[in-house]
Amino acid sequence: MELGSIEREIFVDASPEVVFEVVSSPDHVKQWWPDDARYSPEPGGTGEIVFGEGADRSVEQLTVVESLPPRTFSFRWTHPAGEAAEEGNSLLVTFELVPSGGGTLLRMTETGFREMGWEVAVLEQRYSEHVTGWDYYLPRIAPYVATLEVRP
Amino acid sequence: MSPAAPETVDDDLWSAIGDPTRRRILDLLLADAGGTATSLSRQLPLTRQAVAKHLDVLDRAGLVRSTSVGRERQCQVDAAQLARAADQLASVGRAWDRRLHRIKAIAEAIETTRRS
Repeated sequence: MELGSIEREIFVDASPEVVFEVVSSPDHVKQWWPDDARYSPEPGGTGEIVFGEGADRSVEQLTVVESLPPRTFSFRWTHPAGEAAEEGNSLLVTFELVPSGGGTLLRMTETGFREMGWEVAVLEQRYSEHVTGWDYYLPRIAPYVATLEVRP
Repeated sequence: MSPAAPETVDDDLWSAIGDPTRRRILDLLLADAGGTATSLSRQLPLTRQAVAKHLDVLDRAGLVRSTSVGRERQCQVDAAQLARAADQLASVGRAWDRRLHRIKAIAEAIETTRRS
C-alpha cells in the first residue's frame, strides 16, 4: 500500500519554455503558491518560501534538485533549517514538461510523505488553504502579466 | 483555512503513521487480515513487548482495533480511520490541483501576451 505520493497532470496552452519559467522562477512561484519565495533556481540552489505574515508567518526551506529547461524542474522543501535536503527529511516536488499539441503537458509529483512522517501532510494541508483560490488570485493576474511585458 | 477534522485527532493519527515501524506493522496487519503482538514480532526485528507498545499507539490513534482472544489481543486495522488518513493526503492533492490551475492561468496569460 503506497499512500505517500501525489501525482497530477494538467494541459497548459503555452510553450514548455513559458511553463518552465512559471514553475521554476521564484518571482513566478510566489504568484501561485507561497507569499514570498527567495531561492536560486539552479541545481543545489537553496532558499526559502514564506507563508503568511505577522504572527501567522512561517518559513520553509527549499532546495533545488534538478533544473533542465524546459523539461524538468524539481526541488525539496520542508527540511529543517541548517540541514541539507535529502530523502527522509523533506518532500520532493518534481515538474515534468512534455510538449503536446502546441502546448505543454505538465506533470507534478510530490513524494516523501511516507518516508518523513505523515505529520508533514498536515502541515501541507495548513498551507493549502492559505490562498483561497481565484477570488484572491484573479485580480493579481492582469497587473502581473502587464509587468512581464516590459521585461526583455 | 478549513481543516478537514479537529486537529488534535489528526495530530495523533498522523504521528501514529509517521513512524516507519508502525507503518510496517499496519502493512503486516493489512496483508494478514489481522495479527497479535506475538505473530507480528515473529515477522519484525522487535520483541513482543516492543510490538505491543506500537500497537498501543496505533490503538490510541484509532488505527487498529483489538479484541481479546485468550491471553492475547487480536488486532485489526480500522479501515475507516486509515481512510481518513488517506483523505488528508487527498486534500493535499486538491491543494496541488488549485496550484496547477494557477500555473496554467499564469503561463497561458504570458503566452497570450507574447503572441500578441
